[in-house]
Amino acid sequence: MWQIQNPNTPTGQLILWMIVLGAFIMIMGLVPLLHALPPRGRRAIIVIITFITGLFFAIEFFLPINKEQKNFLTDAIQPAQQAVQVITALALALGTYGLVRLHLRNVVQQRAQWGYSLVLLISFVMMATFSITNTLSEQGLVEKTPLLEQGFKLLFDYTLVQLDAAMFSLIAFYIFSAAYRAFRIRSVEAGILMFTAIVVMIGVVPLGATISPYLPGVANWILTSLNAPVQRAIEFGVGIGGLAMAIRLWLSLERGVT
Amino acid sequence: MQTRGPSIWERMLSIDRRILYLLLFANIVLFLLLPIRMRAAVSPPVQKFYDEIEKLQPGDLVMISSNWSASTLAENQPQLEAVIRHLMRKKAKFTLISVEAQSRDISYRLASRLTPEGGYEYGRDWAHFGFVTNLIVSIKGMVNNLPDTIKKDVRGTPVSELPLLKGITSLRQYKMIIDVTPSATVPFWISYAPKETKILYCPTSVMAAEAYTFLDSGQIKGMITGAKGAQEYEQLLGIVGLGTRFVNAISFSHVLIILFIFLGNLALFMNRRQMRQEG
Repeated sequence: MWQIQNPNTPTGQLILWMIVLGAFIMIMGLVPLLHALPPRGRRAIIVIITFITGLFFAIEFFLPINKEQKNFLTDAIQPAQQAVQVITALALALGTYGLVRLHLRNVVQQRAQWGYSLVLLISFVMMATFSITNTLSEQGLVEKTPLLEQGFKLLFDYTLVQLDAAMFSLIAFYIFSAAYRAFRIRSVEAGILMFTAIVVMIGVVPLGATISPYLPGVANWILTSLNAPVQRAIEFGVGIGGLAMAIRLWLSLERGVT
Repeated sequence: MQTRGPSIWERMLSIDRRILYLLLFANIVLFLLLPIRMRAAVSPPVQKFYDEIEKLQPGDLVMISSNWSASTLAENQPQLEAVIRHLMRKKAKFTLISVEAQSRDISYRLASRLTPEGGYEYGRDWAHFGFVTNLIVSIKGMVNNLPDTIKKDVRGTPVSELPLLKGITSLRQYKMIIDVTPSATVPFWISYAPKETKILYCPTSVMAAEAYTFLDSGQIKGMITGAKGAQEYEQLLGIVGLGTRFVNAISFSHVLIILFIFLGNLALFMNRRQMRQEG
């Protein structure tokens, strides 16, 4: 692949910055150009790009490899990986811009429930500031002050992580309530299902071994001899469905893709 | 005419869900606090997992794919802690990678906290490759050229300059891959990782049922299922970790759920019988 010779020299740095600037200007120019195109022209561009990128990965995967475990496309995987990172970063920037714009407008125009938007904006700015500064401090680019360390710990460890864990743990309460109300034995099949569920639920936890030394073995037999073949059958079906869907997406036949 | 009030069975069928929530909450808190220790029967997938790590030699390199966020912390954190402790006991070196943005910070901070216990030093014995956006492309890239794909670790050091990765150019040079995840990422590792590299799996309990097919085929060499699997693993290691602390609450929550399913069915049956008798 083409690489800059001596990127750490002043000339190399200058070339690098010029390439970055050139790419930025090109992309900024491409966006209004794409907007100006009629829908049919825009669709054609998206279809062609989707097809070529899909074809690249398919050919790279299926072509035979040499002694070095490579084919002629294998070395292009790294640039492809970097391109994916850049596209994701751009998508993230676009999403952030949209989110901030929407909530900023809510606050400025004092729309309904604008207080929530204000909370979101304050949280967003604080988290982003501390998170970015913390990452820079990990890389030794800024000093790790006690304020930064404690601030990040408060926001990340003691707030975000705890809120996220608490949100997910609520599922246990819904499962409990739903199991009580909905798990009714109205047929023989439902009875078999319930019996199997009870054996597995008790057999897989230490309480099962305390009740009977045979329970964990029975639970494991259900999981490996009954569950696994059924899962395999389901996965075959899902795999075939996934392949069909992938082909439809690759060929832009899926509605809503473009 | 005097109307009959709701029977006990009718009242049971229309129980306020907040009472159920309160019962479950009290059950969890009680069994988290009670110092009961029950020995688990170690399940075959956990035993296989343990045996595979036991086979590692000092200095062997292991890739840990940590893709969980705080939402599944109760299941994935005990697993990752137990695995890192075991790797340190075997003096195996490891690198972490995350395909989940939040996991990059969680796993890095967790490993930074645990590694001093084993005398591990960052860069020499372990490293974190940070967050990657696309797992498939990253795996393929790491197989082909690892330093070019990852470029820098979380501390901004080029990975080729890390003493840990001296002479390492491909994922093929890793002995093992351990996927700690609540998502369906393990098929990607199975499909694209080198065939000679063993894959071990730490899913959440809800994801484990799907993985038994891969265990059967030998594509996964071992599995730790959720927090209860972590408890079995801690038992094998002879340590008391988060899995051991959580498992009583899990065990007795299962009992409570089963008890209330039974009560719900009993109430339905008795209520129908009563209605039939009353015509």
